[in-house]
Amino acid sequence: MRLLLLVLGLAAMAMGQDDDIVWLDNYAEAVKTAQATGKPIFLEFRCEP
Amino acid sequence: MLSPKDSPLGKLLRQYVCVRITRMDTIDIGLFEHDRNNTVYFYLLNADEQIYMRYGGRDATSPDAYLNLESLTLAAAKGLELHAKRPPVTARPTPDFPKNYSLLVERTFARNQCVECHLIGDYQNLHRQQDGTLDKREHLFRSPDLKTIGITLDVPKGLVVKEAAGAAAEAGMKAGDRIAQWEGTKVWTFGDVQHRYNETPRTAMQTKLTVERGGAMVDLAIALPLRWWLMDTKFRQSSVEPRFFFDDRPLSGEEKKAMGLPADGFASMVKYVSSTAKTMELHGLEVGDVITAVDGKRVDRDAHTATLYLVLRKAPGDGATLEVMRGGKKIDMLLKTMQMSFRK
Repeated sequence: MRLLLLVLGLAAMAMGQDDDIVWLDNYAEAVKTAQATGKPIFLEFRCEP
Repeated sequence: MLSPKDSPLGKLLRQYVCVRITRMDTIDIGLFEHDRNNTVYFYLLNADEQIYMRYGGRDATSPDAYLNLESLTLAAAKGLELHAKRPPVTARPTPDFPKNYSLLVERTFARNQCVECHLIGDYQNLHRQQDGTLDKREHLFRSPDLKTIGITLDVPKGLVVKEAAGAAAEAGMKAGDRIAQWEGTKVWTFGDVQHRYNETPRTAMQTKLTVERGGAMVDLAIALPLRWWLMDTKFRQSSVEPRFFFDDRPLSGEEKKAMGLPADGFASMVKYVSSTAKTMELHGLEVGDVITAVDGKRVDRDAHTATLYLVLRKAPGDGATLEVMRGGKKIDMLLKTMQMSFRK
């Protein structure tokens, strides 16, 4: 589990630096962006206690 | 090292609006309804909030038993395919929000604490308990394990069956089948399957699914075994109520017969007692004791052990009288149960 989260985390960090991919942290903003762009939404719920 | 730009998953994710949510405060938990004891869970949906699929799910042994980058990549590709086709719009579930649960508000929001996902599930159950709608077979034993009906998936390949045994094999499932529908609903991921399987009424005797085999669709009716919904709930931490700090195993048919106990009864042998039981003076059980009745009852339609009977039929703080056999002598013993301290 930790390994997968680490890999996903690294991917997310790298993607965050990519001009093409932005990871939002606001669901309402994601819906608005999807409406504007016509893209589907890739929604991740992650527990970070 | 994973290079998102060049990786198959990275290329796919660039075609999505990606969003990561770590606080549930304003999320519609009626729409995004899943087992809150998942560490990570994904939804693929469109701007109209039509959910194409879920990705996630777990079993009792591990939170990542069904998480895999290959199958996540398959899911992301399928999501784009479904998005291009624009599936018909389905009815949206009734909205529900964490702030609808007064106890959750009182004990998290009001204290500026994080509304941890598992707390949502715990407090939903607490509210159900208070309003009399709690069915522990459904609400505590949620996310039933596919292996109970003999299905082992080839996890990197999504819903391809690696091994079919037990009830699934008896229904005709074979290794290499790909699960395509569950009770008439299309499924794309293990998350979809577990969500549909969990919706099965706990009194159901069978579940129907369709598999793809050699390009053809094959319908299967799987006979559900007794207590198909039962799973080890130790990973749920605070969800299991009441607590009584011992564990047991069911007596075998021969053991019950030798003791003159009903074959369908829940008599069980104590195999572990926590020191907490003694410290809190909850009961005086010892390893090797045989519990033959609880409050005079020996049989319950759902329970095969005394601990399961207590979990299903008792509320936190309830007491019970145990009939115990120890060294050939019968003892009547009082048992007190506990509630998690964080809920007090």
